[in-house]
Amino acid sequence: MGGWARFRRNRLALLGLVLVVVLGLTAVLAPWIAPYDPARQSLVEKRARPGAKYVLGADEFGRDILSRVIYGTRVALLVGVLSALIALAGGLVLGMTAGFAGGWLDATLMRAVEILLAFPYLLLALAIVAALGPGALNTTIAVGIWGIPAVTRIVRGAVLALRETEYVGAARALGAPGRDLLRRHIAPNILPGLIVYATLFMANAILLEAALSFLGLGVQPPTASWGLMVSTGRDVLLVAPHVATVPGLAIMVAVLAFNLVGDGLRDALDPRMRGST
Amino acid sequence: MRMRSRLLPGLLVLGLAVASIVPSADAQKRGGTLTIVRPTDPVSLDPNLETTAPGAWVYFNMLEGLLTLDDKMQVKPLLATSYEVMSPTKVRFKLRPNVKFHDGTPFNAAAVKFTFDRALRGTPPARWASLAGSLDGAEVVDDLTVDVVTKEPYGPILRTLAMYCMGIVSPTAVQKQGADFSRAPVGTGPFKFVEWKTNTHVIIERNNDYWGDKALLDRVIFKVVPEEGARMIALQTGDADMVLFPSPAQLPALRKDSKFTVHETTGIRVVFAGFHAGMPPLDDVRVRQALLHAVDRKAILDNIMEGSAGPARGVLAPGVFGYKDMQLDKLYPFDRAKAKALLTQAGWTPGPDGIMVKGGQRLSLSWLAARGRYPKDGEITEAIQAMFKDVGVEAKVQVLEWAAVFQQVRANPFNHHMFTLGWVTSNADADYSLYALFHSKQVPPTGWNTSRYANPRVDTLVEQARRSLNQTEREKLYGEVQDILAKEMVWIPVYTTKEIIVTRSSVKGFHIHPVEYNLALWKTSVEK
Amino acid sequence: MLTFVVRRLLLAIPVLLGVVFVVMLTIDLLPGDAVTLMLGEHATKDAVAKLREHLGLDKPFAVRYLDYVARVARGDLGRSIQQNRPVAAELADAWPATLELTVAALLIAAAFGIAAGVASAVWPNSLFDALARLGSLFGLSMPIFWTGLVLIVIFSLWLNWLPVGGAGSLSHLVLPAVTLALPSVAMLARMTRSAVLDVLREDYVRTARAKGVGEILVLARHALRNAFIPIVTLLGLQSGQLMGGAVLTETVFAWPGLGRLMVKAIFARDYVLLQGAVLVFALAFVIINLLVDLSYGLLDPRVARQG
Repeated sequence: MGGWARFRRNRLALLGLVLVVVLGLTAVLAPWIAPYDPARQSLVEKRARPGAKYVLGADEFGRDILSRVIYGTRVALLVGVLSALIALAGGLVLGMTAGFAGGWLDATLMRAVEILLAFPYLLLALAIVAALGPGALNTTIAVGIWGIPAVTRIVRGAVLALRETEYVGAARALGAPGRDLLRRHIAPNILPGLIVYATLFMANAILLEAALSFLGLGVQPPTASWGLMVSTGRDVLLVAPHVATVPGLAIMVAVLAFNLVGDGLRDALDPRMRGST
Repeated sequence: MRMRSRLLPGLLVLGLAVASIVPSADAQKRGGTLTIVRPTDPVSLDPNLETTAPGAWVYFNMLEGLLTLDDKMQVKPLLATSYEVMSPTKVRFKLRPNVKFHDGTPFNAAAVKFTFDRALRGTPPARWASLAGSLDGAEVVDDLTVDVVTKEPYGPILRTLAMYCMGIVSPTAVQKQGADFSRAPVGTGPFKFVEWKTNTHVIIERNNDYWGDKALLDRVIFKVVPEEGARMIALQTGDADMVLFPSPAQLPALRKDSKFTVHETTGIRVVFAGFHAGMPPLDDVRVRQALLHAVDRKAILDNIMEGSAGPARGVLAPGVFGYKDMQLDKLYPFDRAKAKALLTQAGWTPGPDGIMVKGGQRLSLSWLAARGRYPKDGEITEAIQAMFKDVGVEAKVQVLEWAAVFQQVRANPFNHHMFTLGWVTSNADADYSLYALFHSKQVPPTGWNTSRYANPRVDTLVEQARRSLNQTEREKLYGEVQDILAKEMVWIPVYTTKEIIVTRSSVKGFHIHPVEYNLALWKTSVEK
Repeated sequence: MLTFVVRRLLLAIPVLLGVVFVVMLTIDLLPGDAVTLMLGEHATKDAVAKLREHLGLDKPFAVRYLDYVARVARGDLGRSIQQNRPVAAELADAWPATLELTVAALLIAAAFGIAAGVASAVWPNSLFDALARLGSLFGLSMPIFWTGLVLIVIFSLWLNWLPVGGAGSLSHLVLPAVTLALPSVAMLARMTRSAVLDVLREDYVRTARAKGVGEILVLARHALRNAFIPIVTLLGLQSGQLMGGAVLTETVFAWPGLGRLMVKAIFARDYVLLQGAVLVFALAFVIINLLVDLSYGLLDPRVARQG
């Protein structure tokens, strides 16, 4: 039975997929579906309650929260997808290197990975963003770097396991170039696991971006980021709770969508990983 | 040659006035404990190591300087009784007799010299050395006479000596306690140190051997409560009698509630959006003026500051010596049509996306700001950014953490068109701001002329005012400087801070001071 | 056993040295510097230079690194740049609060996560199972800082049951601990469910059941015991995550712990303080991993012999 067939039978996973598609469309179509310019301020309407004019209310500058949430989808998805790519690319290179080279290079790389894992990740990301300067791109890089150690471990483990198997050994003995090895033997074996990891990583990447923005090191105004919206809404939490709660809900839905898809993919592609985290 | 103190009117007479201040008999009884909640623990209780509010609030009640500023911002004698100007760089002070430090040792000229030497010649120098301008030290004349010496004629000398951080410390205690002095200082003030439990509280108690009117309170407890909401709750439940940095959102309700008293006064910090006047297109004064017209400052005060700040009437706050109302509301009213007209005059025309263009260049300004360094600094930046857009000016705001912003504004060259900053005139003398911020030689990292403002006339005026000890003359010179600045605006002054403290109404006799550090508690009492 | 512990601790030394190196380098690369920040807007150029010299910040990076390592080796964590207080004292103030919060969250996570997971596994595909699984997904998907705010709105603002923030009493601990625990509860519930399910499918469990051993006994004697290894591994990993998450939770709830101390140190560029705090974190991480490995031995004697 194919992976897609298995995936399709999982209703929650399908729901997740639908949500991801909706998020994607929202991001692409933002200018057409947002009722207002997300940067348009109307100071006298600050903290307007949800109502006829502003469906989800207005923030502390009188900006339409719905429009900002819609535009915020762009930042969330951009950071999620790009950082996953960075984590995968970095992890693949390092993991392959460590796995194939072995010896001191392997030992050094794995020690470095351990150091990064022993470092509270949020502080690492905080430090990277502080060094590069805030902004969507730099946040993406920081989040991506955070994913590299884990991917490195997965890839190295897979490479080590495969190196022991006969067909890779044989192919090597026959003098197959490394690129061939990668394409024909290793990639097909680690790809399912990586796809699952990448999907779940995107969920966490969205959370981390939000956390960084929350701590004041995210995108730049007037760009709308959900984390920043929660952060600024926090100041008026007791007077106008909707300012912080609405974007928080958006974060939750987006993360939930990727988690659902990731879970579904795991069950469909890689039954051995079922239930593991 | 002696210049008599008529040049500094009023001070001699006031030497006697202090003793005549008698607490009004109404309800001000002795005794009671005052519990204060504030957001952070002090860095230190020694002005040598801390000049910011968390430490100053506490030591201001324990350490006393030669002079002080009253809550009308007038210089008043404290440990000095009178003075005489001996030469342009030397002022002679008569010291108050029979004053003892908390450790029982006598206060005298040697202690003054010791305090200044420790601060100015120590390694590293005291934190307040940077605030003290040309102050060079003190020379002992006799036991109760001391000469304060400056490196050059220095007009602001009296206000400098009256700063909150100029308290005289006990030489014996400093020598005995060593590094621990910074956690348990010994001065001459109306309160003395009891205990400091890090991140929990600092306790001070009444000094029963005080030379003047003794404090009314038995004890003051400064508690650390970082979260604004929790501080307000502590006030409401009675766990605290006084809250520093109250929540602005709750002030309207508290003002109406008879259980509480909201004490407020205009502060001495001006928060502004600064222009880099040396960088095109902001080197064109018409563009700068247009941007001033584009900003609806009243809307910002009403909707973002929500009553927690006052309008900025110029580059200085009203309590500062030398302040002149620059009448910004009259000169630069909020007027988008006027703003656009000025931009048109300067050669800018609307481009395809609504942003003004000139010779193929878009009117796009890069802007550096922090969030949370000054009240609502990030928010006002974002609001002005949107207001600029309405007149066809794009602002590319970069909100960085304060550390990064600070490094860039202190650097030369500065590569942004605009920056959001706040400036407090610490010694309450215009020199402190007008010299450091607008003299053409005071470009960072030497001074704070981040705007790269250069006007030879202003240079001459601020130099002359700095060297003069004639306060009337100085005031006139500073007035002229502000008239020139008003025409050439290199800032958008946004607001003047307000000092706001809320107490329970059982707290009597408390007077809020325009300088946030000067939290005077000796006339305060708690009715139980 | 003892040699195992000693060897593991020795192996941690290069990791800790690396952590210190990374922290110091990062702070060095960040724009901004501790002294100018500390002296503030009004500092003169001269004062900044003198203080930098006094604190030894003018020395080259390598010298400062070696100085620091040598001092730490003697058990001296140095004085914080900003407060000029012994870092050990700062950490001693903040560490118990974080420990309290993390342990409380861990207990909540273990109690609710394992219970929900076991129940889900015993009655798979029941209504409870469906709700628990959905609940876990939500738990994993909610940003921790937002959960905290929502809980504040509900329990402090609307119901007025619990304080908004700060530390002191047990009632102060409830909201931050629950907030911090939520993602871990979700994670543990999922993990426990699948681990117990796997064990329940094993032959020996079926045999035991076939022999007529009561369901509860089967669960207790066989299933749980064997499912514990992956659960404990996850608990260990989670405690690391919890300490990381504490940064956000402490910010939201004004909890005076290590997380806030570290954020403060980063913003103030106080590398001495930051290094001390990160060392504590890294050390805790190493110790937790060690404890996890040791617990395998207790739960499964086979592992101990190999170790």
